[in-house]
Amino acid sequence: MAQEHAHSSAVERLLNCEVPLRAQYIRVSFREITRISNHSLASTTHAMDVGASTPSLWAFEEREKLLEFHERVPGARMHASFIRPGGVAQDLPLGLCRDIDSSTQQFASRIDESEEMSTGNRIWKQRLVDIGTVTAQQAKDWGFSGVMLRGPGVCWDSRRAAPYDVHDQSDPDVPVGTRGDRYDRYCIRIEEMRQSVRIIVQCPNQMPSGMIKADDRKLCPPSRCRMKLSMESLIHHFEPYTEGFSVPAPSTYTAVEAPKGEFGVFLVSNGSNRPYRRKIRAPGSAHSQGLDSMSKHHMPADVVTIIGTQDIVSGEVDR
Amino acid sequence: MDNQFIFKYSWETFPKKWVHKKERSEHGNRFDTNTDYLFQLLCFLKLHTYTRVQVLIDICGVDYPSRKRRFEVVYNLLSTRYNSRIRVQTSADEVTRISSVVSLFPSAGWSEREVWDMFGVSFINHPDLRRILTDYGFEGHPLRKDFPLSGYVEVRYDDPEKRVVSEPIEMTQEFRYFDFASPWEQRSDG
Repeated sequence: MAQEHAHSSAVERLLNCEVPLRAQYIRVSFREITRISNHSLASTTHAMDVGASTPSLWAFEEREKLLEFHERVPGARMHASFIRPGGVAQDLPLGLCRDIDSSTQQFASRIDESEEMSTGNRIWKQRLVDIGTVTAQQAKDWGFSGVMLRGPGVCWDSRRAAPYDVHDQSDPDVPVGTRGDRYDRYCIRIEEMRQSVRIIVQCPNQMPSGMIKADDRKLCPPSRCRMKLSMESLIHHFEPYTEGFSVPAPSTYTAVEAPKGEFGVFLVSNGSNRPYRRKIRAPGSAHSQGLDSMSKHHMPADVVTIIGTQDIVSGEVDR
Repeated sequence: MDNQFIFKYSWETFPKKWVHKKERSEHGNRFDTNTDYLFQLLCFLKLHTYTRVQVLIDICGVDYPSRKRRFEVVYNLLSTRYNSRIRVQTSADEVTRISSVVSLFPSAGWSEREVWDMFGVSFINHPDLRRILTDYGFEGHPLRKDFPLSGYVEVRYDDPEKRVVSEPIEMTQEFRYFDFASPWEQRSDG
């Protein structure tokens, strides 16, 4: 969902479109749910690469609960096309906020259990401390972002630096490492999961009722029941779904703090309904480029785990 | 220091001949430069105390076939120190070579390879300029506007030869282009 958010933000920036407050809160809570599910996948598959197989089994159970929330709202577990230009696709169903709340209450103890297993573990520390160390200057040179940049101590988080949606309301702490090794990055991911839980708990309480899409009917189609009743709504439904909407001419680069790093979309429009050029800047491709320099003076077994700590997904490297 | 500070400061400080156009908008600030001054400009932006643009986020190319210098190479930069983003754009054609910024920003390595592979813009002093996303033995530069969507070759597994072979593409039906853009809508040229 972070990726959908990046593209939607780029389009909204070109259109100068205002997203309603309720939609912003929904986006933030789903972004943080995505962040937790990404970090639980990333840290624990990294653990599996190191050799610990249990954390991934536990974390995948937690991910199932989060993917169930994904499924309840837009209908698909993973490729939920939910965050759209102008807002979100549909409103939250009844009871979802209550279920998210009860799930997050027990999630913090799940994080504690996983941490109990790994963080103080002697073998874990031997495999992670002082391995894959990057200095702050190296991280900036190689174009790292997200946890890879915060590991060596560069306090950069797009949610704080350039707040979008309602991130400035929720005020999370940004965990930052000191040594820039894999152990720091692992601890940062765990702590980010806790901060995401904190945001998710705050969002339903602060969320106002209201519209979930921008009021501009040329941009956001109306709901289906309105479409079936009114001629104008039918036209407003037909037009975006066939022709799409036209986006004015300039270009923009918009980035969001995706769980893996900075996910950016460089969008060039020529005024028509299709983008002239859309380049996706995936964090994984910058991180994987640094693999060579990060693995110098380490052993072959460390290379696999350095790939894990960089949180690389080959799909975004290749695009 | 907000987003506009380093843009304004750098515009006032570096030689005016480096940049032939600047744009400042809520969509992002940008400088348009010549390929001759690109390296100097990025060097200035990276190293100068009041700009400190140390992160090269991305390099991308855009193809405008109607222009004389058809490729526009866009460098997206970030200053974590001053919390600013800035974009530097330069234009090139098929034969112009741009000086590589790998010595300044190692993250440019793969990004420049990608621009070379996808558009055919080559870079001087790049340590390893070869294809990165396309297949081995691929010919052509796929993201150019004159390269067809389906490509020129297709691959399939050939059972007699017991390997994957690459053959000219065979289209079972003509390429259908769905253009729903309304003829009444205003369009500006890209």
